[in-house]
Amino acid sequence: MSYHYNEAFENPDYHYSETLEIDRREGVSQGSTSFHQNPYDSSPYDSYEDRSGGVGRQLNVPVAIPMDSMLSNSEYSPRAPRSAIPDMNPYGNAHVNPSFEYDSEFPFILQSASNAVDGPYVRGPSDMPNGAGFIQRRPRREADMVFMTPFSLQRMDPGYDDEKLKQEEKLIQNLVSMSSGERTKAIQRMPKIMKEKREIRNKVLVEKTKKSVSKDAQIYCCTQCLYTISLSFRHFKNSLVDSFQLLQPWQKTLKTIGGKFGTNVLSYFVFLTWLLTFNAFSFLVNFSFITIPQLIASKPNNLSFTGLELLTGAGYFKETVLYYGFYTNSTIRKIEDTGPYYMQLAYIFTTGIYFIICFFSLLYSMAKSFRKNFVNPQMYSGHAAKLLCAWDFNITNEKAVTLKQRNFSTQIKETLSDVKLEALKRPVSQKMASLAIHLAAWVVSSGTAVACCAGVYFLSINNLDLFLRGGKTELENQAATLVLPIVVCVLNLAVPFFYSVFGLVEKFKYPRHQIYTTMIRNILLKISVIGILCFYWLNIVATSGVECWESLVGQDIYRLVIVDFLFCLLGSFFGEFVRRIIGTKCCKTLGVPEFDIARNVLDLIYTQTLAWIGIFFSPLLPAIQLISLLIIFYVKKVSLMMNCQPPHKAWRASQMNTVFIFLLFFPSFAGVLSIMAITVWRLKPSENCGPFQGLTSPYDAISRWIDILTSYPSSIWVVWIYRNLIESVHFYFILSIIVLIISYLYWQIIEGRKIMVRLLHEQIINEGKDKMFLLNKLRMLQGSRSPKAGGQQERNLSVSQPPRQQALQTPDSDYPERLSERNERVSYAEPHYSGGVAEMTSFSQDPGGRQPSARGGTSEALALALRARDQAEWEMEEEDFSS
Amino acid sequence: MGNKQTIFTDEQLDAYQDCTFFTRKEILRLHGRYHELAPNMVPMDYTRDPDVKLPIQLIVNMPELKENPFGERIVMSFSEDGDGNLSFNDFVDMFSVLSEMAPRELKAIYAFKIYDFNTDNFICKSDLEKTLNNLTKEELTEEEVVLVCEKVIEEADMDGDGKLGFSDFENMISKAPDFLSPFKIRDILQP
Repeated sequence: MSYHYNEAFENPDYHYSETLEIDRREGVSQGSTSFHQNPYDSSPYDSYEDRSGGVGRQLNVPVAIPMDSMLSNSEYSPRAPRSAIPDMNPYGNAHVNPSFEYDSEFPFILQSASNAVDGPYVRGPSDMPNGAGFIQRRPRREADMVFMTPFSLQRMDPGYDDEKLKQEEKLIQNLVSMSSGERTKAIQRMPKIMKEKREIRNKVLVEKTKKSVSKDAQIYCCTQCLYTISLSFRHFKNSLVDSFQLLQPWQKTLKTIGGKFGTNVLSYFVFLTWLLTFNAFSFLVNFSFITIPQLIASKPNNLSFTGLELLTGAGYFKETVLYYGFYTNSTIRKIEDTGPYYMQLAYIFTTGIYFIICFFSLLYSMAKSFRKNFVNPQMYSGHAAKLLCAWDFNITNEKAVTLKQRNFSTQIKETLSDVKLEALKRPVSQKMASLAIHLAAWVVSSGTAVACCAGVYFLSINNLDLFLRGGKTELENQAATLVLPIVVCVLNLAVPFFYSVFGLVEKFKYPRHQIYTTMIRNILLKISVIGILCFYWLNIVATSGVECWESLVGQDIYRLVIVDFLFCLLGSFFGEFVRRIIGTKCCKTLGVPEFDIARNVLDLIYTQTLAWIGIFFSPLLPAIQLISLLIIFYVKKVSLMMNCQPPHKAWRASQMNTVFIFLLFFPSFAGVLSIMAITVWRLKPSENCGPFQGLTSPYDAISRWIDILTSYPSSIWVVWIYRNLIESVHFYFILSIIVLIISYLYWQIIEGRKIMVRLLHEQIINEGKDKMFLLNKLRMLQGSRSPKAGGQQERNLSVSQPPRQQALQTPDSDYPERLSERNERVSYAEPHYSGGVAEMTSFSQDPGGRQPSARGGTSEALALALRARDQAEWEMEEEDFSS
Repeated sequence: MGNKQTIFTDEQLDAYQDCTFFTRKEILRLHGRYHELAPNMVPMDYTRDPDVKLPIQLIVNMPELKENPFGERIVMSFSEDGDGNLSFNDFVDMFSVLSEMAPRELKAIYAFKIYDFNTDNFICKSDLEKTLNNLTKEELTEEEVVLVCEKVIEEADMDGDGKLGFSDFENMISKAPDFLSPFKIRDILQP
């Protein structure tokens, strides 16, 4: 934008007249007040309009081409005092904001608009300095043109009548040439008031009917029909989305929780529902591909059911589809003609494919969440977007509004607590002391974790010995099996409390760090306990020669899951309900308990890890997990609503979610995958039970299947794939090299983009500085010139007035109907007319000494420059008239 | 609806349909809602485009806008005369932009207007402060409000003029994928 102004004020001729300007402006405002007067109407697009309007005009006035910049900006002046213009210039905008392109949205407009605007003409000499940028901006301008030109039509300046009318015609021609759907879309998308839109539409329709005869009626009907269909399809889609949301019964609960307790607590529940869907999927897969075939072929169960089995998972359940040991290794064939169902293959493929799907979906959600919350530093995650995109206009419920507002202020406080803490600085000695405390806390916490592991390990070995020796009553045996899970759960519950005591001593710079540290310690504890248990299962139980060791492991996991679930319920009861009673009734200083998100989420991750490990040993474990998660969801919800208060420690919910998913992926799921790999490739399955009995390892099932397949010529490709891809080292070698190369390339691209982003950012800042500098200069210059301009005023008044009036009075015989249209528009403008005049007079009263006010200074300076340009333009018009 | 023909002419309905994101039925329903607001002011017969405007107080009390802290701003942004009086055309315009079908660009323009409290075509500090107070029910302290507004401008102001122009706003919401979904009012067409 600045270049044009530059040019303008360098030429002293442009600065002569004031009154002329005013006259012109008055004319302008008369015509355009219906739009301009309303400050709301002057949409941020105004500047584009004017610009393009000017461009369009200049097309038809060859003489004006050298003055391109002045012509095109002529409409700035009337608006200058009202709206601070500098930023509204299309040049500035297009440059500043390359990411927000319109053209893609309006391809149809672009197409037709480009016919109207001929490139070379558009680019006046003054654009040259900015040639490169101009090209970049062009599509956008053209796209806008279709919308914007109509405003220029409303200017009643006599000198421009012809051009304006032509311009209007052009717009209408554009619209007429579109198909009706496109035209409707284009009109719908115009950011204008209804009256204008209807006017344009009517004119287009008139044109269209003039052109086309009745044969088009059918086509029109068809397109109309299509449009209606597409519209109803959209409606259908929307209602479908709505009803899908209804299908998720927790959606409403989540909203209430989010409104009442903020996004942090909400993140726990979101995570919970996410795990819920995972387990539901897992259950469906396992049930349909493993359990149903087995149920078809199973023998009747003759063990008695006592009820205690629900807790221990032993006894009756041993002979059910719950455990690995019950599944057969034979093929199932119920109907004679169909092919056999290989149980071994079904078992191994279902588990394998489930894990692969889990892997990718976890990876995907983790990557998505990372991209959203961590990687992009340019994101307005903190404030701006939160503030201006935050409000949910859907909310109509008073309570919800209050909740939302409360939630929002908590969020703001969260972010502010970070900002405030950044300012805090501490001396070195204090830093050393805190470092030492951190170190000590870490040593103590890892020591505790190791001790716990050792305890669990010896207890479990002891338990196994007891089980192998036997010799006691059934009840005692069952009770003995419960010792291990209870001890593990107690450890899981008690040690985190012990860890939280560290919080009294350790001081962290950010509240976030404290949460992360506690979380890392807890996850270390939990994962190492699970790790030691896995070691016990895979190294000791599997080699101990127990009959059907897989079922035994399955029972162990089942017990762990169940006991953990019970502890969770007890935890909410004692930790939250009783605690609240004590806090509110007996010991008032304690207050209402807070909802500890980190601890609860880690519990979830822990049980999910167990459930994943258990899938191989107990295929229906996901069902158990599903039920327990559902119950936990509702119990936690009620407990939260009744007993808890939102955590006062502020943290970033979005980042927390990412961390949760990451934790679920890295120690948990990765660990499960390695355990599965060991089980499938290394361990020898039990001799007398389960689908893999008699094989050296579960994976053998696949090798044998391939051997069978070799004899069938039709499936030779499967064998080929297996031999050459899955078993071959070379393939994996090549694959990993390709992956490495691709990641390296991507990395390089990212580096390049980073540099590009930085450069662009700098460029934007520089542009801003340029603009400010030029504006300042302009203002200074204007300060020195204004007396002169004031002196010229009189002269110009006398010179410029007559031709204008003359033009107004000239009967526009060529366009009678258009004249009447114009009158119509004037009458629209009537109510606003006085306002326009008031404004103009304020200008005329202030001819010379333009005091740049605090805010309006720059815009006034701009206005002056623009007016100068307008004036020059006007003089040219005069020449036209006289010639 | 037996009196369908008497409210609008076919031509009018077509025009509305072409200029907004509504169907004929929805236009009629909107007219119904508009009529409900002031039965004695709004005629049932709109075939001659009567010049009726409802004051902002009536519009803001609609259940769709009543609890919205920006309700007044929304109405002001769509009012042709700038005083908050809405003609039926403005009324339809408003819900058209706030409907689900309106494209992001259109919504962005009006969202900008809504947040531009003092209508100077910039979102400046005072606008942000008002927005913030509306969003939090004035629960924050003065100091916090100032701090947040400074942060916002620092983040989103690309050209360094200390306020957010439309391009800054556009740029910001182009990076905020959640902008589009909340900026709509869904309930209006439920009978």
